Amino acid sequence: MVRVPRSSRSGGADTVAAAPAGITVGQPDADARLSGPAAVSVRDLTVAFSTPEGLLPAVSHVSLDLDRGQITGLVGESGSGKSTLALTLLNAVPQPGRVTSGAVLIDGLGDVLGLTRRNLRRARGASIGYVFQASQNSLNPLKQVGKQLLDLGRSHGESDLRGLLRRARTLLDDMGMDANRVLASFQHELSGGMRQRVGIVFALVLNAHVLILDEPTTALDMLTQASVLEIVRKVHAEHHLTTLVISHDVGVIGDLAQRIAVMYAGRIVEEGPTATVLADPRHPYTRGLLTAMPRITGDVALARPLPGRPPDLTSIPRQGCVFRERCPLAMDICAAAEPPVTKTEGGERRFACYAAAGETP
Amino acid sequence: MRLTRTLAVKLVTGVVMIWVVATATFFLVLAMPGNPALTQEAQDITHGMSPQQAAAATRAMFGFVPKAPVLDQYGTYLWQLLHFNLGVSIAEEGIPVSHIVGSAFPWTVILALFGVIFSFLIGVSLGILAAIRRNTKLGDGLTLLGAIINGVPVFVIAILLFYVFATLWAIFPQGGNVSVLETPGWNAGYIGSVVTHAMLPIVCYTLAGVGAWQLTTKSSVISVLGDDFILAAELRGLRPVTVARYVTRNAMLPLFTILAISFGLMFGGAVFIEDVFNYPGLGQLMISSIGTKDFPVLDGAFLLIIVAVIVANILADLIYPLIDPRIRRS
Amino acid sequence: MITGAVLPPEQLYEAMQRSRRRSTRRWRLFVSSPGRVAASVIVVVFALMAIIGPYLYPANLPINPRKIYAAPSLAHPLGTDFEGTDVLALVVTGARYVLFAAAVAAVITLGIGTVAGLAAGYYPRSTGRVIMRVTDFVLAIPGFPVLVVLAMIWKFGSPLAMGFVMGVFGWGGIARAVRAQTLSLRERGFVEAARGLGLPGRRIIFAEVLPNLAPYIGMNLMLAVTAFIYTEVGLFFLGVVSYTTSNWGVMLNNAVFQAGALTSTRALAYLLSPLICILLITIALVTLANAVDEFFNPRLRRL
Repeated sequence: MVRVPRSSRSGGADTVAAAPAGITVGQPDADARLSGPAAVSVRDLTVAFSTPEGLLPAVSHVSLDLDRGQITGLVGESGSGKSTLALTLLNAVPQPGRVTSGAVLIDGLGDVLGLTRRNLRRARGASIGYVFQASQNSLNPLKQVGKQLLDLGRSHGESDLRGLLRRARTLLDDMGMDANRVLASFQHELSGGMRQRVGIVFALVLNAHVLILDEPTTALDMLTQASVLEIVRKVHAEHHLTTLVISHDVGVIGDLAQRIAVMYAGRIVEEGPTATVLADPRHPYTRGLLTAMPRITGDVALARPLPGRPPDLTSIPRQGCVFRERCPLAMDICAAAEPPVTKTEGGERRFACYAAAGETP
Repeated sequence: MRLTRTLAVKLVTGVVMIWVVATATFFLVLAMPGNPALTQEAQDITHGMSPQQAAAATRAMFGFVPKAPVLDQYGTYLWQLLHFNLGVSIAEEGIPVSHIVGSAFPWTVILALFGVIFSFLIGVSLGILAAIRRNTKLGDGLTLLGAIINGVPVFVIAILLFYVFATLWAIFPQGGNVSVLETPGWNAGYIGSVVTHAMLPIVCYTLAGVGAWQLTTKSSVISVLGDDFILAAELRGLRPVTVARYVTRNAMLPLFTILAISFGLMFGGAVFIEDVFNYPGLGQLMISSIGTKDFPVLDGAFLLIIVAVIVANILADLIYPLIDPRIRRS
Repeated sequence: MITGAVLPPEQLYEAMQRSRRRSTRRWRLFVSSPGRVAASVIVVVFALMAIIGPYLYPANLPINPRKIYAAPSLAHPLGTDFEGTDVLALVVTGARYVLFAAAVAAVITLGIGTVAGLAAGYYPRSTGRVIMRVTDFVLAIPGFPVLVVLAMIWKFGSPLAMGFVMGVFGWGGIARAVRAQTLSLRERGFVEAARGLGLPGRRIIFAEVLPNLAPYIGMNLMLAVTAFIYTEVGLFFLGVVSYTTSNWGVMLNNAVFQAGALTSTRALAYLLSPLICILLITIALVTLANAVDEFFNPRLRRL
């Protein structure tokens, strides 16, 4: 059984896989394997921020599994809580936020939220690689790239620094860059696409097995976007990673991910295999997102934007379904309580909607 | 290279500034009611010099001949300047100004330099502390203290320091730069005396500057702490020591540009500190030369101060590209 | 700000209520801090001293050769000076010069500095470069030595002249600060909108940009006044400017260089009184400037 050390975290309804065995919290344990297909398992996570108007949740009772060797995509508009969720995987929620319930279990580490400070620091970079949203400024502007890689190695007690640089060189070459030149460069001497790729190198050079990419293609031009996506695919396959890609761009997720999860106002409203979810969305929000996207072929007028605006932290409805104010299918029951999760297709897909549940056979 | 062009521009600007100031002081002397040069010349003639001798003497003193056409005078003046000839003192008959000014200069510069260094070191440390512990009692208290010290005028600090530490508790000597009992030279007694006499003035310079450094450092550190790459470093699991080093180096860089300006500000304070502590530097020289109406000395001291400030600025501009890699390679 | 727009009565009422609530909140924030209230009181007291002080005493303060450097007593709460004149009287009457000259300098600095800063910030490429060169020149030269040299040439002992000189040499700081703010505001939406509407530059600067800068300028002005007070007192203290009426700087000069207050304890009150006044008003103005900064810059406000 999973031991949850803090009493503030409730067990929560376990709607996903069966409880794994043999995990001790607080210490990274190479034998601490999560049983089942998931390499990362988020369990009933709630992250709240302290505001003048009280403790408001940015992520509310989220459960999500990232299957080993798969690319999972997380889609949501700004303010949906997706970046907060990603940061929680590293237990790095910024002040004034904090985790108020739930657990984040990672293969080989146990519950990230219960790690000691030292083990947490070690896990970051060595077990989990995080690639930044603004890879534009994720490096120290005053130091050369190579030197910063060495800093990274030394911080993680890497005794073979030459091997580290060799690995970095290989990664850079794989991504089509001149390794020697890049290692000797400063951040301002690299283009946007190059910086993004260097960010990926930093995330993988210590052989992490989980990779998180937060908005990897934002702020890049279309051609560079395409090449970055290609690189992510390649790197994921070559290093047998478990990857989480976060984006507001459904197209990017559709291109890359095998599974997709849709987030709205801090909740996961729909989740399932990418192909089926995008072909046949069940939740009205997912439908709305897809309808709002104009296709390259076809009539532009067919694209209809979602009415209203996504809520921010203070305007999320406290009761009932968070989407009901913009939902074309809203019913009376939607205002009463949050919809329960419905699972279909043998547990492969889930969504949380009264109306959609009514449609399911 | 674009870099050398910018430096050349700065160099030229510096020289132009010195020239402008020299010209301004020249015309100021001319514009004064009762042109001192003419007065001096007239006085010399009354004292029995022939007109030619008087003219020559005045020229030696002021660097130009008063009755010649203005442009001529100006030309002579500039020519003399280029030869570092600042004229001759009125009050101390016959002694070249460059001599007087030159012997006062090191006393001012050494004190000011120590003041800049100490206020920088202490101010930056306190600023980093205030930034790390911001929104706590310690951080807010430090910030408030820094703001207050920053606002207190230099002479108030000087007066209070003198009164408390030289009169009330006579720990330090009451002014002067060295005890007259010591023989000048590299001997322990002399050096010791110089040091004890220099301490209070240096403390004064330090206190005058520490507040500004603290406040600037604090805001620079806070700004860097909010930068993306610091978060990235933490998320990559870098050691706290390494992250701290990243923060410090990035926060200190913009402070460097202020270093040169603060050197200039020190000279402003020098006038007061040397007055209160009776210290024979350029500041005191300026004040005493007003009392004795010794214009060449006043001009000379002023010019020297300006040149020192401009040189410091140029040096800072030269060094900065060496430490900021973003500018170095373009 | 679109002037002349008329809201329907209910919305107008709502807007007024909202702005009144905001002002009340700000007022409450302000009075909740005892330091700030004290600071305001200090400034008011000194202002009153400057305005009505000289009317409370005869034009020529009485001298009393029998009570030179008297210790503080009921008759003379702060003691007497080298002529036996009451120090308290000197302080109160001396305030007028100090504050008046500082006010004159403030007005001049405000005028030149704001205009220069606005112009340099709004037209950064052409006019701006020239203005900034001049400003940098004015700023680079150490202020005091310049004033000392000037003092030799021109006797600017009267408060108007003193204020004028300080103002003319002191606008660099405000110009630079205003320019920085103008530069950033220039890129904001409402300025672009005004430009798009074809409004003339001058109108944009004065009607749109300037009102947004008002609190920032106010704060800088308060800090500038502290610098001016310290400048003029300093000049008198050094003895390089001749004086017409007694003021705090003259008092300091007398205390230190004639009474030898630094080397003996007998004229302590005479020495400390002007010092404490300077300290008080400086701290008060700095505190108020901080308060203004915090109010109008919500990022600084603590949650």
